[in-house]
Amino acid sequence: MRRVLLSLCGIIGPLAAAPSYYRDIQPILQKQCQGCHQPASKASDLDVTTFEAFEKGGKRGPAFLAGKPDESATIRYLTGAMKPRMPLAQPALAEADITLFRDWIAAGAKNDSPADATEPSAAVYLQPPVITALKFSPDGQTIAVSGNREILLHQADGSKLLHRLPGRAERILSVAFSADGKLLIAGGGTPAQFGEVQVWDVASAKLLRSARLTNDTVFGASLAPDSSKIAVGCADNTVHVFETATGKELYKIGNHENWVLATVFGVDSKRFVSASSDRAAKLIDASSGAFLENVNLLRGELNAIARHPKKDIVVLGGVERYPYIYLMDRPRNMKIADDTTLVRKLERQDGPINALDWSPDATRIAVASQSAVVNLYDPETGEKKASCTGHSAGIYSVAFSPDSTKLATGGFDGKVRIYNTKDCSLLHSFIPVPLSAGKP
Amino acid sequence: MKNRMTRLPLLLLSATLALTAADPSVTFLRDVAPILNKTSCTSGPCHGAAKGKNGFKLSLRGYDPQFDYEALLYDLSGRRFNRAEPARSLMLAKPTQSVAHGGGLRFDKKSPYYTTIYNWIAQGVPYGDPAKDTVTALEVEPREVAMAAPGATAQVKVTARFADGQTRDVTREATIESNSPTVAKVDVASLVSGERVGEATLLVRYQGKYSTIPVQILNPKPGFAWKPLPQNNYIDQHIDAKLQKLKIQPSPATDDSTFLRRVTVDLTGQLPSPDDVRAFLADPAPSKVKRDRKIDKLVGSPAFVDHWTVKWSDLLQSTRKFLGEKGTYGFREWIRESLASNKPYDKMVRELLTSRGSTYDDPAGNYFRATRDPKPTMEKTTQVFLGVRMVCAQCHDHPFEKWTQNQYYQMSAFFSAVGLRPGYEVGEEILYDQRADYEMKHPKDSRVVAPEFLIASLTPTKIPAGPQRRDALAEWLVSKQNPFFAKAVANRLWSYFFGKGIIDPVDDIRASNPPVNPALLEALTKDLTDHNFDLQSLMRTIVKSRAYQASFVTNEWNALDADNFSHALPRRLNAEPLMDAVEAAAGARPNFPEVPEDTNASQVPDPHVGAEGFLDLFGRPTRESACECERRADFSLPQALNLINGKTISEAVADPKGRVAKNVLAGKTDSAMVDDLYLATLSRLPTKGEAETGTKYLSGGPRTLRAQDLLWALLNSKGFLYIY
Repeated sequence: MRRVLLSLCGIIGPLAAAPSYYRDIQPILQKQCQGCHQPASKASDLDVTTFEAFEKGGKRGPAFLAGKPDESATIRYLTGAMKPRMPLAQPALAEADITLFRDWIAAGAKNDSPADATEPSAAVYLQPPVITALKFSPDGQTIAVSGNREILLHQADGSKLLHRLPGRAERILSVAFSADGKLLIAGGGTPAQFGEVQVWDVASAKLLRSARLTNDTVFGASLAPDSSKIAVGCADNTVHVFETATGKELYKIGNHENWVLATVFGVDSKRFVSASSDRAAKLIDASSGAFLENVNLLRGELNAIARHPKKDIVVLGGVERYPYIYLMDRPRNMKIADDTTLVRKLERQDGPINALDWSPDATRIAVASQSAVVNLYDPETGEKKASCTGHSAGIYSVAFSPDSTKLATGGFDGKVRIYNTKDCSLLHSFIPVPLSAGKP
Repeated sequence: MKNRMTRLPLLLLSATLALTAADPSVTFLRDVAPILNKTSCTSGPCHGAAKGKNGFKLSLRGYDPQFDYEALLYDLSGRRFNRAEPARSLMLAKPTQSVAHGGGLRFDKKSPYYTTIYNWIAQGVPYGDPAKDTVTALEVEPREVAMAAPGATAQVKVTARFADGQTRDVTREATIESNSPTVAKVDVASLVSGERVGEATLLVRYQGKYSTIPVQILNPKPGFAWKPLPQNNYIDQHIDAKLQKLKIQPSPATDDSTFLRRVTVDLTGQLPSPDDVRAFLADPAPSKVKRDRKIDKLVGSPAFVDHWTVKWSDLLQSTRKFLGEKGTYGFREWIRESLASNKPYDKMVRELLTSRGSTYDDPAGNYFRATRDPKPTMEKTTQVFLGVRMVCAQCHDHPFEKWTQNQYYQMSAFFSAVGLRPGYEVGEEILYDQRADYEMKHPKDSRVVAPEFLIASLTPTKIPAGPQRRDALAEWLVSKQNPFFAKAVANRLWSYFFGKGIIDPVDDIRASNPPVNPALLEALTKDLTDHNFDLQSLMRTIVKSRAYQASFVTNEWNALDADNFSHALPRRLNAEPLMDAVEAAAGARPNFPEVPEDTNASQVPDPHVGAEGFLDLFGRPTRESACECERRADFSLPQALNLINGKTISEAVADPKGRVAKNVLAGKTDSAMVDDLYLATLSRLPTKGEAETGTKYLSGGPRTLRAQDLLWALLNSKGFLYIY
């Protein structure tokens, strides 16, 4: 390596003059190129959003040959030596910018980006963020709430902030406790950048494992009842399944045709259902990832799903505003348009359905929608039992307490509200984040 | 990826520092929505597309701010903004390309747009109060632009007035477009530059409000002196007033034979016969007197009724494809009768819209059989009778007009109860107003939309509850107070005589498509309502004007003008008049299948007759839509080839009982033969040179063949194919 560098020095003169990838090149790529050459579109199979991907190049070969600017595809495209000249249908880069690329490649095309900071920086709260996920711990003592780049553990009545679990994902879209309460899993990420699955040790508030996947947040992360697996939905229409113990990805499935926004496992952890904006809820064999059957008849786009505590019955809902209760199993020999596995269709909500939960005692289903109301239904009769009001805008997360007496809700207005499930009387309400001083 | 994580906090810090507590309050309605429009987020190819882009949908050109607000803030649990740390919001990262954005860089972190959106998020994303933050009016400066010569420039300033009375300079955010960039163009800084002599209209748009600025670029040539010409009626006064201002000298009235040909074809679709021409030229009365007399004779004549029956049958879609054979004949007869009796236009339209029962008993009901469903019927009704195109508003608010999607459904609701069911006879249909579940539903949320007039304040007409609603619509539509109804038909009639509407296209009347001579159109409209919608009266007034009778020969001042009716514009004969002209000139008899003998092209009932033949080639409309644009007046290579050696021409020319054969049999001299052929085709006598060339040619070989050759050559001449 040293020999190479020395010889390069001999050719191009002092190294100090060489442009920096981090300082010079990457900003140009970001501004001028990555609109098309990004993981989501990958024009010519090229992705310039990371150094590794840029180096790998696209279908015309590597993007650059270190030390040989004139033979490098990047230079040839930028100068128009290869057609079409890049950036496509835009003015050519300034001569000085092309020279930066040329000099950087001539100097060896090195990646001088600083290593990632070891600790995530502390979250800032100018205002309370939108609440996207919350869940009671199995012992009912704690409630986990999504924050900005962190998860917050509160005493169940909101009287005390117990722990802050800071991470890199800006948004936490789902949280779940293991049955023994020892593990907390979370799914989320940073929009248009990366998705992340986190596994926390609750007692020590330490991140045990995390896995990054896709180039957008992951949705509807769920933990199998036996805690063996984690399923997450993705913006690239896939569902990924991880082994909880190792954080290893077991498989991914790609039979949805739109974003997958919710997942839930069956009672025996052997199957799960994924619900998507493509309107389908798909039943999947959890050990192999094999597609078994569509659970529902396709109606509106689906946002949320929840399961009966002891039976393989699910409630799902979305843009169409009706919650549907379906048997999870749909016999293979059923004909298309046969809807006999539909148990019940609940009342139409005042907005698209965002979140659902089924009480642990099986007597209530909570339906949260874009309207500011959470409705509680008796799943046996479909009758509305209570309406919990008080939020000022849409609700994104609902969770029953383990004893089914309380319901926690959170959404657009940034406040956690805890209701009595009998009559929807408000028990507690609190802002779960410490607001920064100097808030505008 | 790694790099970004470490860099962002720095950016965040700088952005936060840049903002002070004194930042002005920002609302979505007043401040943010215009940015989404100006930076093209809401444009058709981007997030304004019907399905949005990459999972993010906004309303097209931001016509529905409430929808856009919810999409930005509520979608996917508030994914696009970060209230805790505004600088980390996706809606700032994407347009600044801090993360990959398929739409590229829209603005950078230093731009005022970034600051506005940042402040808006930091202030808690307030929507704003529609009662305060809605734009109520646009004020443009200057109101009109007049340039003394091409090359001049003018700065446009746009001020928005809000519902709370405040105003704001929105020149930067408003969209300004020229309808004729070759005349006047606008740059990003709203600077207008005159490109060539002529007129253009600038359309200024901002947050659903529109304004227009007329631009005139005058001819800088020195030496213009207005030479007044005789004015026959108010039409000439209005036209001259504008021409004088534009320094355009109109052409004087054309000669008698050109006038006779033009007016006969325009009013009746037929050429004047050689005898007509001779008699008219021989009439010693003063030109104006005999012209007026001729016009009075032609208007209302049987050929006139045939000709206008074709026009109205086109617009009302009379074709057996929709109506069946019997239905078509019935509808045509109803149209014919209405025109022959000069039924007032308001009465005619009212009958069309309010007909009930069997379409065999009341053929006016056929109006509903081509479109059948409420929405297309509403689109047709507004386009044909009001000149207003509502079709864009089916899916979103009209991008260039004030019409909203709501209004589309309110207007459609007038027809929502109209049903058609089979009658007792074959092909009979019964029109009724009790369709089951007849209420019009809004596509967005399926709510029932009650009927409401496009401009409700015009008339005190009450809309009854229940399904019988279209009578109220008819009453509102044909009212003299309705500014569109009379104007639309006056403009449409005008276009038939000048080849171009005062508003053009005639069935696309909107604020952004202003009349070229508003005073003229207003006067015509008033004339029509003053005469109780007497269309024949208006036609007589139009063709009696000097402007209609003007020569197509131009002078140095009006050669470039094609918009202000300063001279005649040659027009190709339409399909039916052209075919009838060929037959009449050649002395042949028309020969259509399935119709009585001697039915000519202007008398065939619908496009089924003679389909795929000469008429269709020359642009006869299929009557599948009510758009004026269905009739084509272009000139194509297949048409030219057909005229050279097509069946229609060659058979007519060589007809053994035709004009040439008869003249030969009658023993006409060469000179009389040439005269007759010129009169029959070009409606004038040959010039001396033409006569000499013609007689020389006839005497140089087999006479019949040579006379046929001469006739063929005349039929292929521009003088025959065009009205000029």
